[in-house]
Amino acid sequence: MFKRILFATTASPSCDNAARVAFDMAKRYGSELIVFHVLGIPSRGFSRFVTDVRTGEIVTFDDDYLGWVKEEMKNTYAIQLDMHQKSRIEALPGVPHTEILRAARKRDVDLIIMGSTTREEDDGTYTYRSATGSTLQDVTKAARCPVLIIGRPVASVWGGFSNIVFGTDFSRSADSAFLFAYKVAKTFGCTLHLFHAYDISAIHSGKIMEQDEIEDNMIEAREKIRKMYIPRLKGFDNYEIEIWEGIPYVEIVKFARENYADLIVMAHHTRKPSSEKTLLGSTVEQVVLRATCPVASVNRPDKIKDI
Amino acid sequence: MPEGIFCNKKAIDTREQLNVVLGDTGGKQYYEEMNHLDVDKDALWATIQKTFKSRLKTWLEICAHCGLCAESCYYYLANNRDPKQVPSYKIQTTLGNLIKRKGDVDNTFMQMCMDTAFSKCSCCTRCGVYCPFGIDMGIMFGYLRGLLFSQGFTPWEMKIGSGMHRIYKAQMDVTTEDWVDTCEWMEEEWEDDYPGLKIPIDKENANIMYTLNAREPKHYPQDIAEAAVLFHLAGENWTVPSEGWEETSLAMFAGDWQACKMQVENVYAAMERLKPKRMVVTECGHAYRATVIEGPYWAGLKTGKPPVESLHYVEWVAEALRTGKLKIDPAKKIKEPVTYQDSCNYVRNGGLADIPREIMSYIAEDFREMTPNREHNFCCGGGGGLNGIGRYREQRNIGFKVKRDQILATGAKLVVSPCHNCWDAIRDMEEIYHLGIKWTFLKPLLIDMVQIPEHLKPKEE
Repeated sequence: MFKRILFATTASPSCDNAARVAFDMAKRYGSELIVFHVLGIPSRGFSRFVTDVRTGEIVTFDDDYLGWVKEEMKNTYAIQLDMHQKSRIEALPGVPHTEILRAARKRDVDLIIMGSTTREEDDGTYTYRSATGSTLQDVTKAARCPVLIIGRPVASVWGGFSNIVFGTDFSRSADSAFLFAYKVAKTFGCTLHLFHAYDISAIHSGKIMEQDEIEDNMIEAREKIRKMYIPRLKGFDNYEIEIWEGIPYVEIVKFARENYADLIVMAHHTRKPSSEKTLLGSTVEQVVLRATCPVASVNRPDKIKDI
Repeated sequence: MPEGIFCNKKAIDTREQLNVVLGDTGGKQYYEEMNHLDVDKDALWATIQKTFKSRLKTWLEICAHCGLCAESCYYYLANNRDPKQVPSYKIQTTLGNLIKRKGDVDNTFMQMCMDTAFSKCSCCTRCGVYCPFGIDMGIMFGYLRGLLFSQGFTPWEMKIGSGMHRIYKAQMDVTTEDWVDTCEWMEEEWEDDYPGLKIPIDKENANIMYTLNAREPKHYPQDIAEAAVLFHLAGENWTVPSEGWEETSLAMFAGDWQACKMQVENVYAAMERLKPKRMVVTECGHAYRATVIEGPYWAGLKTGKPPVESLHYVEWVAEALRTGKLKIDPAKKIKEPVTYQDSCNYVRNGGLADIPREIMSYIAEDFREMTPNREHNFCCGGGGGLNGIGRYREQRNIGFKVKRDQILATGAKLVVSPCHNCWDAIRDMEEIYHLGIKWTFLKPLLIDMVQIPEHLKPKEE
């Protein structure tokens, strides 16, 4: 299903859950797996000093240090690397999200797998160029292929599941996410839940909606799903449609939990978020932090068609 | 003593030698070998006789030792007014003595000169503004660096930097292929937000040819994208060259005059090839100075000007805002107190002090000037290549104090700093002294603030 997978790791325990999924998937599909570590942000202009992302120390980057980092990575993933021969380790200095995206584009990868640490950004990150954002935010926004994010320990790994939740906001990016969710569901013969969370978070700014209004909108959403997605489920009938009202990310996480979802697929918008949204984090980011299963962030159709 | 493998009088101009020197972590062996480096006194004196001319000669001779340069120098101020940091003292005890002794000096002396020229002076030329005779010690130290380079007494990172320019025609190992690929990548990535965005490469007869700093494609490609977006929104007919796209000059800091010449000739060649109406340089101070002000003299251009009218980025921004090519959304102007870093190389040395004020008037509601400011502003503390030199990190960090206090005195929360070196310096300053400030280039600020013309807005989903 995926010819080439890029597993972006900090090579520390926070990525262990993601590592398990990455190696398991690669083995299952005979994919080429690139275990990719961006070891530090180059500082001091053009000099060889690099701030190591794991230790926070300033190190002088040279071949020896690189060799040492790779050795460490080999030790961390010794067992997995042994089991799956088509994998290789790469490490280089740079701004993490830049190098991950650069490599993903250059190697034409079909899937990026990342762990989500609970406190990815420290205060310094804001000031490294453009928007606030963790590596995760920047990668999911710009990646041309789906990004699978594993934040919590995953009980069942890829291939052994039964429920996929596709959360939609009816955007064009959601179309790509839908395609991905559908293909995966079809391949594994599992149930596809098409879910929409009707946003009533305006309630916090004092706006109270009439119940009739809410329910009318929910019915409308259900119709929309029927029109937009169902016709494309050619001959596939193992699906359910559900609309819940509330704060979108909360509802999605709840719904996924209630239905024992093994995977949540959502669209990540490629549009640059306004600064308020950046502070709160988009719905995808909130879901990633809270869901008990992996979340696939999809925003472009490019690599999905190849699946 | 035979010359060292790492440290010798030869400039680095092969990849093999570059990798050898790069591989010497922190320059440890390099500096060790430097302790055994001989001074070729004959060659040194011969070079001096050929290049040390009337201006410098006069400067060294007519210094009245009045001490007015003392308070003009931030090293003097930051180091508790240490008399040894008075600019006149610094230059007289190095270049002055070198001349007096007709080049008959030893290794210890040369290393002392190197330490002075690189860690006690960032060539900011502020002293030249305050000296009653206009004696410019910054320029003299630049000259001294050249003499030191010819004898092999150059800091490790500077030696590498000039090597990079010789081999890659850029300050980092970015090949033409990497560069073009990065442009294509940024185009792809940002197209969704800005439909129709293009980064035209090698377009002839464009209005603007844009040149950059190699660290942008290497580590910060979004900088390229931001520049592209701003040109796009302003409706500019612009291009970047596939070769001659890098206009910084570590070679200038290193004192490698030959490499300086090679580097600017590369950029001028691109100008000749693509025949743009104007060239715009990215937000980098020394790049502007090297390519636009000093470059023509290195390349032997009789007009003293580059082949094509050349602007620093701030000039383009001011023009775009002035003429309305870029419109600021009034609601998005900067509300918090903000100040501006006058970079030495395009303000004091380039005469562009008015332009930043004009820009700030369009984009900020609470602009606070530093004291002093404009041509009288102090160096960020990291200029002249100092930011990158590990050996002099401590001296640099002390030198930061003056700029630090300036920033704190303004009460600003944000520092606008359209210069890669100043930006780095302020970042490091923040890490060390925890001022609680933010700092930024102009591009990310503008991207957030400009109004997007209707026909360039992405289609609603």
